[in-house]
Amino acid sequence: MKFDNYMDPRKTFGKAVTQEAEKNEDIVVLSADSGKSSGFGEFIEKYPDRYFECGIMEQGVIGISSGLATTGKVPVFCAIAPFVTARPFEMFRNDLGYMKQNVKVVGRNCGITYSDLGATHHSLEDFAIVRMIPGVTILAPQDPYEIEEAVKAMLSMNGPVYMRIGNPKIPVLFEREPFVIGKGRKITEGEALTLITTGSMTMAAMEAVERLEEEGIQVEHIGMPTVWPIDAELICDSVKKTGRVMTIEEHYIKGGLGTIVMETLNDNGINVPIKMHGIPHCYASNGPYNELMAYYKLDADGVYGGIKEFLKNEEGNK
Amino acid sequence: MRRETIRCLKETAAKCRLNVVRMLRASGHGHIGGTYSSIDMVTALYFYKMNVNPEKPDWEDRDRFLLSAGHKSMVQYAVLAEKGYFPKEILDTYGHLHSKLAGHPNMHKLPGVEASTGALGHGLSIATGMAMGLRLDKKPSKVYTILGDGELAEGSNWEAAAAAAHYKLDNLTAIVDFNGLQISGKVTDVMDFTPIGDKFREFGWAVREIDGNNMDEIVEAFDALPFEEGKPSMIVAHTVKAKGLKEGEGKASYHYWNPSKEDCDALEKDLMEQLRGYEDEI
Repeated sequence: MKFDNYMDPRKTFGKAVTQEAEKNEDIVVLSADSGKSSGFGEFIEKYPDRYFECGIMEQGVIGISSGLATTGKVPVFCAIAPFVTARPFEMFRNDLGYMKQNVKVVGRNCGITYSDLGATHHSLEDFAIVRMIPGVTILAPQDPYEIEEAVKAMLSMNGPVYMRIGNPKIPVLFEREPFVIGKGRKITEGEALTLITTGSMTMAAMEAVERLEEEGIQVEHIGMPTVWPIDAELICDSVKKTGRVMTIEEHYIKGGLGTIVMETLNDNGINVPIKMHGIPHCYASNGPYNELMAYYKLDADGVYGGIKEFLKNEEGNK
Repeated sequence: MRRETIRCLKETAAKCRLNVVRMLRASGHGHIGGTYSSIDMVTALYFYKMNVNPEKPDWEDRDRFLLSAGHKSMVQYAVLAEKGYFPKEILDTYGHLHSKLAGHPNMHKLPGVEASTGALGHGLSIATGMAMGLRLDKKPSKVYTILGDGELAEGSNWEAAAAAAHYKLDNLTAIVDFNGLQISGKVTDVMDFTPIGDKFREFGWAVREIDGNNMDEIVEAFDALPFEEGKPSMIVAHTVKAKGLKEGEGKASYHYWNPSKEDCDALEKDLMEQLRGYEDEI
C-alpha cells in the first residue's frame, strides 16, 4: 500500500486550533514550556493575549485551565502525553472531570513515539487512566485530516476531552469528512475477522489488511478515532458477522482499546474469541521508533503476522 | 459608622457559627478546627467585601470565592446559607445520604459554590485561572481563595503562586488560614513553611499579616486590596484553630470533631450569649 501526503501531526493540530481560534474568541492556549513544539507558533503570533506560557508545571496548568473554563474560556493544553495525564492525574480527575470543565487536553508524542527517550517519556496507560475519569471523551485521530476535523469537533462540544496524537509524520489515509465524536469508521468489509485499531496503528493495519486481501483473506477493519465513548453498535454488528475480533493499539494491552472492546462485547452478550495486541505490561524499551514498533510487532509485518497467527489458531481450534 | 459595620459583621459571624452547629447536630461530626478559624474572614468576604448576589449566583460580573482547603466546607455552607443562597433547612442535611452539602464542596450540587475542592493544593491554580479569564474579559470581578496552612506543603500551590505573580494578577487575593495546626500537630513541626509571608513575597506577591479572627483587622486589610498594583495579594491570617469553641481553641485534636448532643447544646448556648452581647452593643 502506497501512502502519500505525509503531514506533521503536531503542526497539523496546532494549525487547526489556530484556525478555530479565529472564529471563537474564547479559545485560549496554555503551555507548559510546550507551546511551540505543539504547533502553536502561529497562534502565539496572532493571539498573544490568549496564549499563557506557564513553564513546566503541568499540575498547575490543568488547574489554571479549569479556572479559565469557569469564566467561559475554552482552554487547550498540549504537551508530552505522560505529562498531561499521569503527572497531573488528580487535577485532571477533580478540576476537569468532577468539575465538568470545558478543557481540551492534548497528549502529543503519545505511545512510544518518543521511542529513544525511554519509558519516562512513553505514554502507554493514558487511555486506561483517563477513561476512569467519568465524563471525559478520549480521541485518537488516525490521519492528518482526522486530526483537523477532531479539533473542530472537540472545540464544538462542551466538556473535558483528552486527545492523543503522535510525533512522526503521518500520511493522509481517508477522504476528509466531518468528525463525529463516538463514531468509528469501517475501512474495509470482510468476513474473516473484525480488526479494530486506533490512532497510529490504523495505518500499519491498513497495510497488513491489504496484504491479507491479496491472499484472499477479507478482514473487516474498523478504525476508532474515538476511544471513549466507544462505538458499540459498529463493533457489535461487525463481530456478530465475523465471529472473532482482534484489537491493535500503541498502548498497554491491558486497560486500553482492547479492554474497552472486550467489555463492550461482554455487556452486549457477545462471546467470541478475542486477541488483544499492543505493548505488554512492562516498561517499554528504547531505540529508534520504527525498530521499537517492529520489536513489539506493531509495524505492518507484525500486525500481518499477528492476524495470520490468530486465524491459524482459530482454525486449529475448530 | 465603621464601628457599626464591625459590630454587624461580628454578629453575622456568630450567626454563621450557629449555622455550623446545625450541621454538627445533623451529622455528628465535621472539620470544626479550620471552619471556625476561618469563619470571621469568610463572613467578612460575603457580607462586606465581595460583590455577589445570592438571587443570581451565576451573575457574570460577580466576585468569586473558592475554598482551596475544602475540608472546611462547613464554613462555606454556613456563610452561603446566612447570605441567602439556599434555605437554612438544607444545613440540617449535612452528612446525610445524597446531601447537597458534601463533606467537601461540590459546585454542581449547590448554588454559590464556584469550584469542587477538597483535594489539597488545587484551589490556588483554579483561582489563578479564574483571575486570568476575568481579566481577559476586562471584568471588574475579583477572585478570593482561602488556603490552609498545612496545605502549603502541596507543591502545586507554588506552581500557582509563581503563575499568579508572573501574570500580575492583582484581581486575585489568597488568604492563608494560619492557625498553625494540622492533623499531626504543629504545622512548623510537620513541615515548616514559615515564614509564609516572606515566601510569597519572594514569589512576587504583595503580603500583609493580620489577626484573622479580629474583624477590625480583617476589614482594614480588605479595604486595602489590592495591596500593590500588578501583584496578587496574600493575607497571612494568624488565627486560632476552632475559634469560638472554647474547649477546642488552639488544639490540633479539634481538626475534626465528633460532638455529642450535649457538646452542641453547650456550644450553641455560648454562641447565643455572644450574639446577645453584639445585639446589646447597638
